[in-house]
Amino acid sequence: MDAFAQQLVNGLTLGSLYALIAVGYTVVYGIIQLINFAHGEIFMIGAFGALSTWIVLFKGQTALWMLPVMIVGAIAASVVTAVIMERAAYRPLRGAPRLAPLITAIGISVFLQEGVRLLYGKVPGFPDAKQKVPFPVIDGITGQSWNPGNIVIQRAAAFTILALVVCAIGLWIFVNRTKTGRAMQAVSQDPDTARLMGINVNRIIVVAFIIGATLAAIAGVAQGLQVTNINFKMGFLAGLKAFTAAVLGGIGNVWGAVLGGLTLGIVESMAVQFVPGTFGGSPWKDVWAFAILILVLVFRPQGLLGAKVVDRA
Amino acid sequence: MSTVLEHGNDSRVDGIRNRLAPRAAGLALAGGVVLLLSGLLSWSYDDRILGDISIRFYPAGIQVYVMVLGAVAIALAVLLFRRPGWLDPGRGLKAIGLGSLVFVAGALLAITVQAGGLVNVNEGAWVALVGALLVLAGGGLAAEVDLDVRTWPRLKSSYEILIIVLALAMLLFVTAYTLDVENSATFGTLLVTILTVTVGLLMAGLGEYIGFIGQNNRRPLVLSAFLVAFLFPFTQGGSNANMSIATQILIFAATALGLNIVVGLAGLLDLGYIAFLGTGAYVGAMLSESTFATIGWKPPFFVVMLCGMAVAAVFGLIIGSPTLRVSGDYLAIVTLGFGEIFRLAMFNLDGNNGPDLTNGPNGIPGIPDLNFFGFDFGETHTVAGIPLGRFSNYYFLLLLLVALVILVFSRLNDSRIGRGWVAIREDERAAEAMGVNVFGLKLLAFAVGASLAGLAGTIKAHQDTSVTPDQYIFLESAFLLAAVVLGGMGTVAGVLVGATILKLLPEKLREVNDYRLFSFGLLLVLMMRFRPEGLVPSKRRQLEFHEDDEHLVELAQTEHLEESK
Repeated sequence: MDAFAQQLVNGLTLGSLYALIAVGYTVVYGIIQLINFAHGEIFMIGAFGALSTWIVLFKGQTALWMLPVMIVGAIAASVVTAVIMERAAYRPLRGAPRLAPLITAIGISVFLQEGVRLLYGKVPGFPDAKQKVPFPVIDGITGQSWNPGNIVIQRAAAFTILALVVCAIGLWIFVNRTKTGRAMQAVSQDPDTARLMGINVNRIIVVAFIIGATLAAIAGVAQGLQVTNINFKMGFLAGLKAFTAAVLGGIGNVWGAVLGGLTLGIVESMAVQFVPGTFGGSPWKDVWAFAILILVLVFRPQGLLGAKVVDRA
Repeated sequence: MSTVLEHGNDSRVDGIRNRLAPRAAGLALAGGVVLLLSGLLSWSYDDRILGDISIRFYPAGIQVYVMVLGAVAIALAVLLFRRPGWLDPGRGLKAIGLGSLVFVAGALLAITVQAGGLVNVNEGAWVALVGALLVLAGGGLAAEVDLDVRTWPRLKSSYEILIIVLALAMLLFVTAYTLDVENSATFGTLLVTILTVTVGLLMAGLGEYIGFIGQNNRRPLVLSAFLVAFLFPFTQGGSNANMSIATQILIFAATALGLNIVVGLAGLLDLGYIAFLGTGAYVGAMLSESTFATIGWKPPFFVVMLCGMAVAAVFGLIIGSPTLRVSGDYLAIVTLGFGEIFRLAMFNLDGNNGPDLTNGPNGIPGIPDLNFFGFDFGETHTVAGIPLGRFSNYYFLLLLLVALVILVFSRLNDSRIGRGWVAIREDERAAEAMGVNVFGLKLLAFAVGASLAGLAGTIKAHQDTSVTPDQYIFLESAFLLAAVVLGGMGTVAGVLVGATILKLLPEKLREVNDYRLFSFGLLLVLMMRFRPEGLVPSKRRQLEFHEDDEHLVELAQTEHLEESK
C-alpha cells in the first residue's frame, strides 16, 4: 500500500510537469492544428532563462524570494522565443501543405537545442551548456523532504503540483472570464466566423503561443528544482511525453491536457512499480508511455475528453 | 507628395537602366575577362595558404577556381549578346556576380585570418573584386527575358546523349577533384565556386533544358549515371578515406529513397524510419558469425538479407496496421514513438531487462566482413592495376542496392499503385470515393519502405562491423527526412543530391563540425520557408507549392505534351 501511495505521489508530480507542458501543445493545436514540435525546447529555454536570471541577478544566493523573479525571467525567455518562432517560421507557412510546418518544427527544435548547447556558454559569466548545468538551490524548495507515513514527498514535487493547480486556475479564469480568452475559444471553434466577428485571429494565435510558453517556462523551473540540474536536450523527451499527454486527454482540449498529463504520469510511475518480470522497472517506463500513446491513438483517437479535431489532422 | 517624388526617382533610375542596358553584355564580358585574368595574378604575399597563390602566371588552388568563374561569366556574356529566347543569361550573370563577390570576400577573409592581416593580400584579389562587381553590374542591367520554353533547340538525340554523358563525366571529375581537397578553407572556396556555377547556370534556365533533355533520353541518362558511379572508386587509387564516406552516403541514400516511397509518394510522414534500418542491422548482426551474436542460427548472407527485409516489413505492418487509420500529424508522432520504443528496446534487451537479444548498450561488435563465393569484402582486390580496398567492395554492393531501390521506386511510381499513392496523398477521401484501396495501399507503402530499409541495414551491419543502439536515435530519422525534403520529395535525383549534401559536407568541413546540427536545423527551417519543394523538385510538387506561378504551369504543360508525344 505504501508503494502504491508513493508511486501515486511520484506519478502526480511527473504528471503535473507533463500537464504544464501539454497545455502548450493543445492550445496551439486547438487553434491552428499545428503540432508545435519545438514546444519541448520552449520548456528547456524556460529552465535556462531562470538559470540566467539567477546568474545575472543573484549569483550565489539561495533566498526564497528570488524564485518569483526567476520564474518571471523564465517566462520572458520562453515567451520571446515562442513569439519569434511563430512570427518568423510558422506564420509564413500558414496555408502551406501540412508537412511543411511539421518539418519546420523539427528544424526549430534542433536549432534551439544546438543553439543553447553551443552559444549559452559563450555569454560571459554563463556556464558551458554542453553538459548538465547545475540549477540553483532555493531555500524552502530544495530542502528536507516531508515524510507523512512511509512515503517521501520532495518539496520540489509539492512545488510542481502547486504550480499546476495555480496555473490551471489562472488558465480557467483567462479562458472563461476575459475577452481575449473568449475570443480564443471562438477562433478554435471556427476561425473564419471569428474573423468576421472582428476578432484579430493572428493576435489570438500569438496569445496561444504565449500561454503555452508561459506554462512551459514554469514547468522548466519546476523541473530544474526537482532534478537540480538542466541540460540542452531535456526538452525532447519531456516534449514528446507531454504531447502524448495532450493526445491522451484529447488534443485541442485544455482540460484534457491536464487530465492526460496526470494520467500519463501516474501510469508511468505505476508501471515502474507494478509491471512484473523483467519488463518492469525504470528502463522500460518510456516504452510504456509511448505504448500508451499508440494505444490511445488506435482505440480512442479523440482522447479521454475528446475534442473533435481528429478529422482535420 | 512623397509618392510623386518616389515615382519620379523610380523613372529616373529606370531611365539610367534603359540607357545602360545595351552595354550590359559588354560590362559582363569585361567582368568575366577581368576575373579570368585575376587568376593569373598573385593573390597573397604569403605562399603557405589556400594552396600556393603567391606566384604570377601559374594559377593554383583558388586562382584556378576564379578562372573557372570568369570563363563561365564570359560564356554567359557571349550568350547575352546573342539573346536566345530560351535562356536568360542576365539572371545567370547576376548569380555568378554575386557568387564571385562571396568568393572574393571569403578569400580575403581566409587570407586575412590565416596570414595575419589584410596587408598580405596581393593585387589579384582586388582585381577579382572589380571583375565580380562588373559581372554583377552587367547581369543586373541586362533586360529580363521572358523565357519561352517552346523555343528549346531540338538536337539529334545522339547529340543530346552526348551532352548528358559529358555533363556526368564532368560531375565525376568535379566530385573526384573536390574529395581530394583536404584543407577546409580551400574546400570552402571550391564549394562556393561549384555552387556559384551551378546556381548561375540554373538561373540562366539551363537546368530546365538539361531536365528536358534528360526526360527525352531517360535510359541513356540512368545508364551513364550508373557508369559514372561505378567508375568512381577507380579515381581514388585505393585510398579508403573517401570510399568510407561514399559508402556511408550510399547507405544513407538507399534508406532515404525507401523513406521517399513512404513520405514522397504516399505522403505518410514517418519520423521513426531509422528503426527499420536498425531492425535490418540488428537482424544482420544477430544472424552473423560474430561471437557476440545472441542467436545460434548462422545462415548464409542471402538468407540474412531476406530475414532482415521480412522482419523490418513485419515491424512496418505491426506499426502500420493500427496506426494508418489515424492520419497526418498523428501518424508522424506515432512513428516517432515507435522509433523511440525500438531504440529503448534495443538498449534494454541485455538479459537483465527482458531476454538477452542485443547486449544492451554495448551492442553487437565483431561482425565479420561479407564473403560471396570466396570473394572476401575485407580484402583489397586489384582490378586493371588499380587497387580497390575494403570500402570499395562494399561500395559496389551498395551501388547495386541503390540501383535496386531506385528500380523499385520508379516501377512503383509509374504503376497503378503509384497513382493510387499520389491520389491518397492529394486527397484521401476523394481517392477512397474513386475506389482506391486506401488502407491497403498505405500499408503496402509502409511495408515496402520498411523492407528496403531493412535490407540496407543488413549490409550496414557488416560494413560497420558493429551495431549499437545509439546509431538509431531520432535525429537520424530527422536527417533522413531532411535528405528527402532537401532534395525534393518524390524524386530520385533529389534524394540522391540531398543525401550526398547531408553526409558529405559534415565530413569535409570538420572545423565547423560542431555547428553541423545547428546549421542543419536552420537549413530545414529556411528550406520550408523559401523552397519547400526541394532542390530537385518533381513538377507536381512544385506546382503544389506555387499554384499561382503561370510560367511553371506552362512549363509543366509543355513537358506533359512532350511526354505524351
